[in-house]
Amino acid sequence: MAVDSTAEGAASSAARVSTDGGVPANADSQGDSGQADPPVDSIVGTADDGIVRELGHDDFDPVGTLVLVLIYMAILIGMWVFMYFVEFLGRGLTVVG
Amino acid sequence: MEIHAYEKLWLALALVLIVGFIGTITYGAAGAGIDMIDDKGGTVDPATLDQHPKFGDPGIERNGENSYDVYVVARQFVFEPGTTEPLRVPAGSTVTFHVTAADVIHGFEVVGTNANTMAIPGQVAEFTVEFGEPGEYGMLCNEYCGSGHHVMEGKIVVMEQEAFDSWYEQQQAQGEAEN
Amino acid sequence: MATESGGSEFVDTFPDEAAIIKASFLIAFVSLGIGAFFGLIQALHRTNVLRVIDSADYYTLLTGHGVLLAIVFTIFFLCGVFHWAVARSLDRPAESALFSWAWVGLMTTGTVLATVAILGGLVPNLGMSADVLFTFYAPLQAHPIFYIGLAMFIVGTWLAGADWFLSYRAWRQDHPDERIPLQTFMVLTTMIMWYISTLGVAVSVVFFLIPWSLGLIESVNPLLTRTLFWYFGHPIVYFWLMPAYLLWYTVLPKLAGGRLFSDPLARVVFLLFLLLSTPVGIHHQYLDPGIAEGFKFIAMTNTMFLLLPSLLTAFTVVASVEHGARQRGGEGYLRWLGALPWRDPAFTGMALAGAMFAAGGFSGMINAGMNINYLIHNTLWVPGHFHLTVGTAVALTMMAGSYWLVPQVTGTKLYSRPIGLLQVIMWFVGMVFMSNAMHRAGLAGIPRRTAEPQYQNFEFLTPIGSIFELRVQIALGGTLLFLSVVLFLFNILLTSLGEESDRPVDSYLPEPLSGPEGSPRILDNLAMWTGIAAVLVVLAYTLPLAGIIQNGGGLFGGGLPVPATVSAGFDLVLTTVTSAFNTLWGVVA
Ligand code: HEM
Ligand SMILES: [Cu+2]
Ligand SMILES: [Cu+2]
Repeated sequence: MAVDSTAEGAASSAARVSTDGGVPANADSQGDSGQADPPVDSIVGTADDGIVRELGHDDFDPVGTLVLVLIYMAILIGMWVFMYFVEFLGRGLTVVG
Repeated sequence: MEIHAYEKLWLALALVLIVGFIGTITYGAAGAGIDMIDDKGGTVDPATLDQHPKFGDPGIERNGENSYDVYVVARQFVFEPGTTEPLRVPAGSTVTFHVTAADVIHGFEVVGTNANTMAIPGQVAEFTVEFGEPGEYGMLCNEYCGSGHHVMEGKIVVMEQEAFDSWYEQQQAQGEAEN
Repeated sequence: MATESGGSEFVDTFPDEAAIIKASFLIAFVSLGIGAFFGLIQALHRTNVLRVIDSADYYTLLTGHGVLLAIVFTIFFLCGVFHWAVARSLDRPAESALFSWAWVGLMTTGTVLATVAILGGLVPNLGMSADVLFTFYAPLQAHPIFYIGLAMFIVGTWLAGADWFLSYRAWRQDHPDERIPLQTFMVLTTMIMWYISTLGVAVSVVFFLIPWSLGLIESVNPLLTRTLFWYFGHPIVYFWLMPAYLLWYTVLPKLAGGRLFSDPLARVVFLLFLLLSTPVGIHHQYLDPGIAEGFKFIAMTNTMFLLLPSLLTAFTVVASVEHGARQRGGEGYLRWLGALPWRDPAFTGMALAGAMFAAGGFSGMINAGMNINYLIHNTLWVPGHFHLTVGTAVALTMMAGSYWLVPQVTGTKLYSRPIGLLQVIMWFVGMVFMSNAMHRAGLAGIPRRTAEPQYQNFEFLTPIGSIFELRVQIALGGTLLFLSVVLFLFNILLTSLGEESDRPVDSYLPEPLSGPEGSPRILDNLAMWTGIAAVLVVLAYTLPLAGIIQNGGGLFGGGLPVPATVSAGFDLVLTTVTSAFNTLWGVVA
């Protein structure tokens, strides 16, 4: 469902009408974009006003996520090895029996 | 149910990580020989600790060449021995601790080392450590045990063998005299 | 936006539910304020920076801090979030508002009783105290109303769970073939885990601690009550975490401008928590005498597998956020991070909370590592760890989530977005100071739960930096954290006093990228998962408990013996299974 949209927010409001659990779209309220709303900055949760393209399931590969979690994994392994073999096994007085 | 290829990769890596952790710990137990505190120390009746053959008069006892048993009672807010007089052990010895609590739950931590156990009324924590060079260790209670918890501390003195032996004999002689 | 204006806000559609949620949040936030104030005093006292109390009173405040924050704040907030999530995702009000008020009332009464007992410890000669910390290990004894308050609180949570199950049942009658909506699925699985796990603490409190504190029985078996506590004490960790996960899975993607990456995986994650949360409690008892090493090893492996759902969550949630960033024009391998709505305190708070959870996850892996536990057990490392997890991943997510949730139940706009942003950043910075210093202090051997920084017989040593520097960091971090809570409460208070707005918040939640349709229906078979979870618990706990009762002086410690018949039964089971088990363990180790 790749909808290309030029008008800010238009795509997302379009998506809303179709999915928002039965709340009827009120044709004469607020218009179809954020313009008539209070300044966007003052409202929490309006990130989708900044949406410039609609990415469906098949257009999206979370490559950035993969990079982040791989970095995390590397840190985990490094720290684990350090903590176990240096900090822990390197200490005097260990319970051996 | 479809799962994205990257997420499958991550899932596999996560499983490898988990198995790696378990492997390291198993190596620590089987390869490096680290034993856990467990149920081998048995149980005691905390109410009659005073009459217990060992915990009635806790302290160190030789049980073989270079090998000793140490009985420690933790009670609000002292270790016996350890607090009023230091717990003395000889350098280069293997020492098996038997730690129990007389009143509430305490902790027994030799500061800056891996010797660390809970002391629970009714239970005896038994564990063995090897002491090296002469020197001193601090010990403290690391489980909240009441309003004076923060003053519950003590000292372990690792002595030269000769100094220890003469101190030990003196202790024994005193013990005999008292009986 | 268009569809959200006029009449469709949560507070308009579900006024009764909004009132319940507001009440729950109110109690949560009052507890947060008091608890944070105690936290400040502790941080300054135990570092010797500023002392306004006696060291003996430190433990009274620490008990208050633990109970008010880790039990009252977190769980009341959870109740608010869950009540919201069930009404919202089933799109129906609770079956009976009166019933909802009953659990709010019962939990509140319990909280007040326990708090009175705790704070009574500050009043000399009152003869009432509960300086037992939030773990209340016997034979330390609290005033009976502490335990009674606790029991009422827990029964209150059971009723709350019943409320949500009743809603679900009614919904199911109208929608026989639909998949359970994701948020409701999360609430129900979490509550099943809670029912299973609170059984332990309920038995401990009702059968042992209350009669004992009233003088009806002579003594208790300290290892038994401790084990029953931890039977519940690990799952409570996930009870704290699940509302945060619910927000991360279902709200954070929206706040980022994206959609949840995968609904089925979210379900799998919650099921894994249901199955694995309880049979791991013994990992808090690695250094306890009286529990065989084999049981500790089992608890350790289970715990390590419990990492899996959290690692999966890391991927799914970050991917959902990345989806938002990409929709907002983000590019590159990591540059997309810049395209996220960092000016939104709800988003930024949750994102920072998640980042800290990644760090807390690491120190948790060390805690979980059975033998490496010797290194850090009961040192300051442990509070360092859980201030990252419950103290930030959960608490900061709850505060950040409030910026988005509170307007939905009050119908008023957030008073100040910049103050909100400052608040979540301040929490993050404060926690970086306090938590990293606590971790390092723990490695130096400094114990947790102590009022004094110094001992007579020895000095603590740290390889890098100095102990002085660690103390300064803890005091500074604690101060920033406290100020952050003040800002939060101020912002929320002014929000609730604000004027009603047509569009207090953008409350719309988008559908997941990958919905539940393709996932096996068996995921929604709650009865089956409950059964498996119960079996795992029985497997993990029967033998250790039998051993503790059998060897540790019976059900009631030194006082009363175990009845002969029960004893013989235990004996039989124990000897056969432990011998088999020991052989097996001998092969492994
Ligand atoms: C203003 C923010 C906070 C500050 C300054 C703070 C500070 C502290 C300090 C100094 C300790 C005592 C460590 C010790 O002596 O062992 C502590 C313990 C603790 N904190 Fe916090 N904390 C804060 C927020 C939180 C939050 C939000 C939670 C959970 C939701 C939390 C949960 C706990 C728990 C469970 C303990 C352990 C109590 C015990 O050992 O019995 N704290 N905190
Ligand atoms: Cu203590
Ligand atoms: Cu745990």
